[in-house]
Amino acid sequence: MTIDQKIVELINADIDGVISVADKGELDAVLATNSEARLYHAELSRLCKDMDSAQAIEPPPHLKHLILALAKPKRRNARAAASWLMSIPALRLSAAFAAGVALTLTFVSSDNLSKSAFDDVTGLVGTISESAGESSGKPSIQVSRADITGKIAAHRSGRIVVIDFDLVSRGPVDIIANFADRNIWFNGFAQLESAGTSVAAEPGRVTLRMDGKRRYALYLHDAGSRDATVDLQFVSSGTIVHEAQLDIGTLKGD
Amino acid sequence: MSRADDTELVKQCINGDRQAFESLLVKYQKPVFNAAYRMLHSAEDAKDVTQTVFLKVYENLDKYDPKHRFFSWIYRIAMNESIDCLGRINRTEPIEDELEDQGRGPELETDGELLKSQLQAALMNVKPEYRTVIVLKHFLECSYEEIGEILAIPEKTVKSRLYTGRQLLKDLLTGRDVH
Repeated sequence: MTIDQKIVELINADIDGVISVADKGELDAVLATNSEARLYHAELSRLCKDMDSAQAIEPPPHLKHLILALAKPKRRNARAAASWLMSIPALRLSAAFAAGVALTLTFVSSDNLSKSAFDDVTGLVGTISESAGESSGKPSIQVSRADITGKIAAHRSGRIVVIDFDLVSRGPVDIIANFADRNIWFNGFAQLESAGTSVAAEPGRVTLRMDGKRRYALYLHDAGSRDATVDLQFVSSGTIVHEAQLDIGTLKGD
Repeated sequence: MSRADDTELVKQCINGDRQAFESLLVKYQKPVFNAAYRMLHSAEDAKDVTQTVFLKVYENLDKYDPKHRFFSWIYRIAMNESIDCLGRINRTEPIEDELEDQGRGPELETDGELLKSQLQAALMNVKPEYRTVIVLKHFLECSYEEIGEILAIPEKTVKSRLYTGRQLLKDLLTGRDVH
């Protein structure tokens, strides 16, 4: 390029509409006699016009909900925070847990499972929302895939390990939780919604099926395993789209 | 963008009003997502960056200095997060093949879709310091002064980077040597 640097700056200023009258006169005089400068001006103008006219891309529709779900309520103003908490339908349902209104608590038994005593998990009602805000230092998984996004966190209450799922999926997704340790067994399931997530349990495995934005908890009885893990597989349209592992062996009780 | 409105929303948010945070999210998620997309050329990475940006904003609202405009603060976080993400995924590597595949010509293409993809591919071949200024100017419609505030650089530097970035883009799209 042999165009003088000052002319390049004037061309850019002209394209951006910030050129002074005097400079515009000088540029016009150059453009009238310099074909290279004219071509440069035309090409750069077209490039800038193309960029300026590029259509903005819409963010994924679930992104806003995901961010709102992940942003923990601030504690400095407890009253305002409580007011906001109650404005969220899901957490309003959580509060209703305490009254035992919206809780869906499912016990699943099989030949194998029935040999194990189920612990009473009704005392854990409402712990889904607590765990979401106080899971720092506790095992958690952040899922960020096209089919499913959100967070899974675990905490312990006595012999019960509560795995809290706060997820948004596009279409039906199966989440298979595998726990090979024989000292661990399925102990219950609760969800904020009155329906929407199904659960199927068998020895060493629980399969959860969800669709859309869901908040639910899986209760596992842990008879005292060390180094126990829960392997999670996320299956969409018959394909494993994500795998993760939760280390529950190191969990300390609440 | 109303400065007073944003400042009021930030104040309400700091006081625990989550509706105010949602309002800021609704207002800024699209420009933040688009800025990240233009920087990264990946909707998935742009989504992750947008998520991180808003969570950082939410966690650090009390550190926001109202002397500056809110959008300049959030755009700065968005650009920094995008550059961090670029470092992680090493997407600063030239993607000459993509440009070659889409065909180069002596003049800029006029076909809409092809031009868009060529533009984005060319943008990815420009160094992040130039790309950042181009994205803020042409995709977020910021002025020189606003870009200077966002990136904390003098206006003179904004112009220098913008003009150089445009030159590089033009050269890439017209098949000339990139200097």
